[in-house]
Parts: sequence; structure tokens; C-alpha cells
Amino acid sequence: MPDSTSARITDAAPAAREVRGTSGPPVAGWLERIVRSKAVAVTALVLPGLWPAWPIVNQDPSVLADPGEYLLHHLGFVACVLLAVVLTFTPLRVLFPRWRAAVALNRHRRLVGVTVFVYAALHFVMYLIYEGGFGKLASDIGKPFILSGTVALGILFALTITSVDRAVRALGARRWKHLHRLVYLGAALAAYHQIDASKVFPLQVVWIFGPMLVLQGARIVKRFVRSDPAPPPRVPQIGSPKT
Amino acid sequence: MHLRFKKEWELPESAVTPESYYRKRREFLKTVGLGVAGWAFGGSSLFAATGGFPTKLNPNYPPGDLKVTPYEFITSYNNFYEFGLEKDEPKVNANKGWKSEPWTVEIAGEVRNPMKIDVNDLIAKVGGIEQRVYRHRCVEAWSMVVPWDGFPLAKLVALADPKAEAKFLRMTTFFDPKNVPGQRTDALDWPYVEGLRLDEANHELAFIATGIYGEPIPNQNGAPLRLVVPWKYGFKGVKSIVKFEFTTRQPRNTWNVMAPREYGFYANVNPTVAHPRWSQATERVIGAGFRAVRQDTLMFNGYEKQVAGLYAGLDLRKNY
Repeated sequence: MPDSTSARITDAAPAAREVRGTSGPPVAGWLERIVRSKAVAVTALVLPGLWPAWPIVNQDPSVLADPGEYLLHHLGFVACVLLAVVLTFTPLRVLFPRWRAAVALNRHRRLVGVTVFVYAALHFVMYLIYEGGFGKLASDIGKPFILSGTVALGILFALTITSVDRAVRALGARRWKHLHRLVYLGAALAAYHQIDASKVFPLQVVWIFGPMLVLQGARIVKRFVRSDPAPPPRVPQIGSPKT
Repeated sequence: MHLRFKKEWELPESAVTPESYYRKRREFLKTVGLGVAGWAFGGSSLFAATGGFPTKLNPNYPPGDLKVTPYEFITSYNNFYEFGLEKDEPKVNANKGWKSEPWTVEIAGEVRNPMKIDVNDLIAKVGGIEQRVYRHRCVEAWSMVVPWDGFPLAKLVALADPKAEAKFLRMTTFFDPKNVPGQRTDALDWPYVEGLRLDEANHELAFIATGIYGEPIPNQNGAPLRLVVPWKYGFKGVKSIVKFEFTTRQPRNTWNVMAPREYGFYANVNPTVAHPRWSQATERVIGAGFRAVRQDTLMFNGYEKQVAGLYAGLDLRKNY
């Protein structure tokens, strides 16, 4: 999805810095302050991982009947939701450049992206433990259900290890950007994987990935209807303070 | 005419002395963790099941080495899409005012004795109920061991007295979208339909459950009548049946209509034929907790000796 607007900024922190300097009053609104907060972001990312403790402490028999399956599905579910959420950050900023909360959201883009990988990796570990290890993976890898999940995880892994500043520098801005566009393929595979996990079409896939698709679509439309010519792509700033 | 031959593993009636049966019953009660409750009931009956019918363990189908799944898991982990797509939903949604009594059952089609009958009258007519401990294997690769109460399906077939043209039995779930949330969606093609060949329906393992653990079968498990065919995947076990129809043609069962590539008519448990999306070679044991328990799935779910003869000459890979 080539887009010169997003090409200007590949790291979240400079995004916030740039726009803060150009627009809006100097005092942050309450929403922006909440969204900017690192503590809020970390809490929001960790809580879904702790959620399974609730039904287990409460001895919910529907969960205790097959707790491994519950954890497996929950971790995959959280990974899908966070992946869809993080892919709304850039469109929100592009569509509402004066909305400072949307700008602040982009400070956490890398953090949320890496968290997606962590949940997906835990989901995979749960699969290995519970479904029969690498032997099972090897025998089932030909099935689109298993293949889509495995490839999506591979993409997330590649993006995660190249998310450190040193990797950006080593790859160069252009190559780094092309590589990280794989996230859209990863999201498509994750959505397919989630659909294929159910016997009937799971409506939740629509509300997980639907809003993100709408925003991404609007972002593309905005780019084409914009009257002023797009500025030339800029090299991402590296070595910026970590968000 | 239906001939019934004794299997070599069946005990003759005379071998079941009251005393030995009594011991078996004690063992069974201990196994299922109801030992204390069992003391309260004398004689040969355990508990009241649907309509107050007494039930007792059929000594041909004891738990044996099987580890019986706790009652709360059997009744809290359900696939019953009429009441929600998640496992925990049927227990909630099936007990919010949807009524499984009174319940009328229709027996129709190519039979000499068609009828509409109250479910309790039906149970009385087939001679009451008994308990059998069966393995239960879901197509989703999980399994349970369930002490079902009910009666052999063959007794219902005998009551209906099928004509010579009858080759299949088609069973249909209720249709009540007003009280049943799932049936207001198009998740499945309602009402749910399942079918058996008549010789499968007459097989001694084919069973109509009216209870679990000696208790009336809860709504979420398919009250008041559900099919149990332990050598087939769980989705063959159509729940809350309102109609038994004897047909000349093979019925189109719901999951086969939904996804013919994934679910066949036979749906016999077969570890060597994979589901397109997952392997069927192993299964997760419900109630085994966090210990990563996966056990090998057995051919025909462990009932190969009893049912393999039904499928002699049939390509099980094609007729999945």
C-alpha cells in the first residue's frame, strides 16, 4: 500500500513531535494525555493477557473443561484484535491530522506492533504444547488453516526483529518500509486463519478487522482526492527516542 | 423383519445375578463420584430421569477403564448452535425460558405405525430407560465419556414398524426462532437435520438419550430426546428431536449441506481420515485440565468390533 504520507514517518515518536510543533494549542487535552501515557498503553496491552485468570479463579466449568483450548483461542484472539487496532493508528493520523489524540496514538505504534507478535508467539507456543508439537505442525502445515497462521506469525517475527533502530539503519529506509508493508499480508492471513478456525463464519472477524479496513480505505481515498501534490517521500528518522 | 444376533461380548440374561449386578453398580457409582448419593436409592433403580422413569446401568456398557467426564463439564461445554456458537452459551441461553416440556414427537414416513406422541408416553411404550457409558468424540477433536440414560433407537424403529421401502431414518430438531436466538440467525440451515441408514439406526449401540448421570437431560445437551451414536462424530447426535421420519432416500444432513467437503453423511470417527483443516488422529480429553492430555483417537471411536461390519466394502475415505 504505497502512501507518501505514511512514508514521511516510520517511527511513532517523530510523528508526535512534528505535528505537535505545527498545530494545536500547547496544552494537551484529557484524551490526548491519556492516549500519550506510556503507563496507560502498557496496561491496556497487558490486561488482555491476564484476562484468562478471571474464569479460572472463578472455576468456570465451560473454561475448565478445556483450559488449554481456551488459552489458545484467547491468545490468538487478542493478537488479531491488537493487530487490527495498531493498523488503525496511521489512517487515524492521516485522516485527522489535527486530532492530537490520534497523533499521540502513533507514539505507541512500535510497542503495540511488538505486543501483537508476543501474543501471536504465545498462541503458537500454546499450539505446540497442546496440539502435539512440531511433529503435528509438520504434518498439518499443508492445511490452509495452519499455513496461514504460521506464515502470519513468520511475518510478525520478521517485522519484530527489524523494529529496532539498528535494523532500520542496516536495512535502509526504503527497504525497511517495503519489508514492513508485509504487515498487511500478515493481517489478511490472520483474518483468514481466524475465519478458518470456526465451523461457521465467525462474525467477530468483521468487527475486529472491519473498522481497520474502513479507515485504511478512507486513507487511500483521501490520498487520491487530495488537491495538493504529495510531498516527496522522506527518509525515516532513526535513532529517535524510543516510545 | 429385524433379526437380532447375540454378539460374542454380550452376556446372556442368566449371567446377570442380582448380587453381581449390585457390585457393578457400586463400582460405577464410585467411578462417577456419586457414591454417597447412590446409597439413598435402594433396589435396582438409580435416579429418576425424564418423566420420573427409573434408570439402571446396562451391564453391557459399563464405564470399565473409561474415565467418566464430570457432570459439570458435560453440561457446560456444549455445541448447540441454536443457543449460541460458543461452548459456554447453550447452558445460559437454553435455560432462559425455552421449554423442553411438554414435548410431542412425530413418527412419520414409510411406517405402518405413524404417530404423534408425548415424549413420556413414548418412553413408556419402548419399555423405559437404561444407562450406558459411551465415549463421545467431537469432529473438533475433543472427547468425553458420558453416562447416558435413554433407550435403544432400535426400540423406536420397532415401534414405528417400518415398511420394506424404508431405508433411512431422518431426525429433525425443533424450529422455534421466537424463543431460540440462534435460529434467528443464518448460522446454519434450520432446523437441524441428521440421518442414519436404517441398519445403523437398528444397531444396538444407537441410542436415544433422555438423561445424563441419571438426571433428566439438561436443555443444553438436547432435552428431551437426543440421538447418541458413539461410533460417529458428535454432530450426528441431533438434539431435541421432534420428528423421526423413515425415508427411501438418504437424508441431507445439516452439516453436509453447509460444508460438503468437510462433513459427510456417515461421519464415522476415523483417525486416518483428516478433516480438511485439522488432523483427526488424536483428541483432547475434556476435563483433563492443564496437563496437555491428548490421546489417540480410536477407529470408530473404539467401537470397531461392533460396527465395522456395517461398512464392509464401503470406501471410508470417500464416505467420510
